[in-house]
Amino acid sequence: MLTASRPGCEIHGVILQVLDPTNEAAPPLGQAASRAASLAGKTVGIISNGKEGTQGFFAHLDRMLREEFGVADVIRRVKSNYSAPADPDIVDEIRRWQAVVTGIGD
Amino acid sequence: MQLASKAYDVADTHAAQELYHANGWTDGLPIVPPTADAVHACLDWAMLPPEQLLGIEPVRGVAITAEKLAINAVMAGCLPMHFPVVVTALTAMLQPEFLLHGATSSTGGCAVLIVLNGPIRRELGCTGTFNALGNSDRATAVIGRAIRLALINILEVRPGGIDRSTIGHPGKFSYCIAEDEADAGWLPLHVQRGLPAEVSAVTVMAAGAPRQIMNEWTTQPEEILETFAAEMRANMRHYSIWSGNYALIVPKQLRDHLQAAGWSKADIAAFIHARARVHRREWAEVGKRAVVRDRGDTEYAALESPDQLLVVAAGGPAGGFGAVIPPWLGDKSRAVTQPIGACVDCEPPGL
Repeated sequence: MLTASRPGCEIHGVILQVLDPTNEAAPPLGQAASRAASLAGKTVGIISNGKEGTQGFFAHLDRMLREEFGVADVIRRVKSNYSAPADPDIVDEIRRWQAVVTGIGD
Repeated sequence: MQLASKAYDVADTHAAQELYHANGWTDGLPIVPPTADAVHACLDWAMLPPEQLLGIEPVRGVAITAEKLAINAVMAGCLPMHFPVVVTALTAMLQPEFLLHGATSSTGGCAVLIVLNGPIRRELGCTGTFNALGNSDRATAVIGRAIRLALINILEVRPGGIDRSTIGHPGKFSYCIAEDEADAGWLPLHVQRGLPAEVSAVTVMAAGAPRQIMNEWTTQPEEILETFAAEMRANMRHYSIWSGNYALIVPKQLRDHLQAAGWSKADIAAFIHARARVHRREWAEVGKRAVVRDRGDTEYAALESPDQLLVVAAGGPAGGFGAVIPPWLGDKSRAVTQPIGACVDCEPPGL
């Protein structure tokens, strides 16, 4: 039986070999920081993306952390561009905190 | 040169389709099976070795090689001659001011508008006329799609994954146009943005969906452009008030009126800069009273400066239909124009 075929495309009876289009080389993952057993007496940073909806949300979280979890100090920082990674000076500051809260969304 | 990508044996093209769909490697449409021969043909045309690093996505540190981009270009339907345009578009998107991660992950759901200029438009058979923003020609269809597939596969910009778009828009399948440079009186976009006329170039912009306008009832430039400015004001009220790159798609019929009156692209940009402005209090008229606050009298311009406007000549010969293409989100991402160039240090393979 004759079958129509196009070169390099569909050749009956011949296996076609196709390539993986994804980035098989995964980017290097950062090392997760050790987990704090308790937040009591700790310094917790909050990195806000700066959007309208974050103001009430993080103000409430700030209060919760202090009143319910006994956090000693809550440091709030706001990114200069909510669509870009945190500014380098904020990232540098993180090493002085014992925990950090951040997130995406509105 | 040996390709580094994992190869899969499939029985036929149908099996290839199912493999790619099952792995989330497509945009939902069928793909052209990327064979090593087809990928090599793209790389050879662009004189790029497979391992050539085209750039690193700055936020997640993802390295993008020519091989991976070529695989996605083949899948999109690109011929080898389309591949240099895809390479240029992607490298333009990797410039810091484009803010690629933000633009492709945002709930705002923009797409990457690609505008082609220069001699390559004719070499690739791009038209820039009828149905310019739709399925106008093979080259723009597949080049735009190649960029989307590359985002999906190389940078994992999948809906619900990195892509957090709330609604997105149809330009996320393919959003590429060629400028109609036939009008002697107007500078092509890439020349307006500082490149020589004889160079071919790609401009990329993180762009919302086109907002179509129509005005066939005047020949006066001010009246024609007022319709465009009004659509920009509507975008500022209904979508986002912040200034950034807007693109105007101006069809032949309206260009004829503008050019007959001696208006250049720079004149248009100056007019639009002055007219596309709103006051914050206008938000109250469209249900956004809550965010007017005490700044109701503050005036906002759609363009920080006239040069933020990308005026693009495109569209069929008849009809007063144009479009305003708004920025994803103010000036968070800025349009980038890059020349399509051969590597001066490279030699064609086999020499």
